[in-house]
Amino acid sequence: MDALRCMPGVGPKAAQRAAFHLLQYDRPGAQRLASALGRALQTIRRCARCNSFTEEELCALCASAKRDPSLLCVVETPADLLMLEQTLAYNGLYFVLMGRLSPLDGIGPREIGLDVLLERATDGAAREVIVATNFTNEGEATAHYIGEMLRGRGIKVSRIARGIPVGGELEYVDTGTLAQALVERRPVSNA
Amino acid sequence: MSERRARDRAVDEGYVLHTYPYRETSLLVEIYARGAGRMTLVARGARRPRSAMRGVLIAFQPLQLSWYGSGEVRTLIRAEWIGGQPLLQGAALLCGFYLNELLLRLLPREDPHEKLFDRYGEAMRGLASEAVTGPILRSFEKSLLREIGYAMVLERDVAGDCGIDPAKTYTYDPEKGPLEVSAVASAGMKLAGQTLLDIARDDFSSAVTQQQAKLLMRLLINHRLEYQPLKSRRIFQELMEL
Ligand SMILES: [Zn+2]
Repeated sequence: MDALRCMPGVGPKAAQRAAFHLLQYDRPGAQRLASALGRALQTIRRCARCNSFTEEELCALCASAKRDPSLLCVVETPADLLMLEQTLAYNGLYFVLMGRLSPLDGIGPREIGLDVLLERATDGAAREVIVATNFTNEGEATAHYIGEMLRGRGIKVSRIARGIPVGGELEYVDTGTLAQALVERRPVSNA
Repeated sequence: MSERRARDRAVDEGYVLHTYPYRETSLLVEIYARGAGRMTLVARGARRPRSAMRGVLIAFQPLQLSWYGSGEVRTLIRAEWIGGQPLLQGAALLCGFYLNELLLRLLPREDPHEKLFDRYGEAMRGLASEAVTGPILRSFEKSLLREIGYAMVLERDVAGDCGIDPAKTYTYDPEKGPLEVSAVASAGMKLAGQTLLDIARDDFSSAVTQQQAKLLMRLLINHRLEYQPLKSRRIFQELMEL
């Protein structure tokens, strides 16, 4: 039960329920779970190009010939990568930091592999780096220092935009988003 | 709301200093509030995807906070954006993290420090709007030291018991204050008398003062921290080396 509780969203009650169920009614299921986890621990590693999880040397995305290698999008987590993929609006490659700068937690550039990102971004293929870290203070700080690091080496760096959600009505938008949307306003295009 | 809950209820203006994940879906929130001082609140469910508090509980922004409870960790009921201050951006964010770490490390809990609270608000507004951050940090460091009972001696030579001569050179004993040194004296920090007088007046316009004040404040803060390093300072240095 304690072992099951290490999963996010699984509290003491849920862990107890799952453990009793597996032991009482589904011992083959428990065996499958145990060997799947064991296999995953053995075979899953970090992709050599994007730092996300993979079973191969390169993940399917990095190995694909259909992706545009001149675009490199930096995200905090594999979950963020999947969200961006779901938009079907991006055809470039990724780099996953597996975190963000968080000085008060002692997480600095080394912990999130900014040196690895630097190598990756300056290997000649990337023309533009798109920073898609979160719009938290930590994510913004991360974006800023990635920008500083890469701009100095002649690489174009852009940040994803933020603002009012699609279909959003001002009356229901939170004050912080609205305030920042005013600060970051842009000219109305006449196209 | 129960009677007990209503009785223990408080509303205050405050800032989030830092948050930590807590249990499955909650956050522990370290706050600095005007009347209540530094406290820990639990924000239940704040890590759920659609939590209304999620985007509000961020550092460096003035918030209206209400909570109840009486133990060491109170329960946050509401958090609202007060507004009026743009978000910190770029290098100013690192300055903000640094000031928050100073408060977390040096300010005792549940002890109101209203004057310092106002200085903190000024510092945040300054960091959000000004390009030069050094004077904002130095001025806040000085206020913080004074609030925790360490008023810097800046206008008197503690050895000679005389005024500071702007043209002379001094060193600084963290427990006592400035001591005149001969210009050829060897090791230790050397400060121009002018620097000490400038810090006393919060005048950081001279480049020499800025640079020497930074070293002096670092010495005094390290001394207060019993030479336990600050994480934000280490990370700032690492970032500068990128
Ligand atoms: Zn990959």
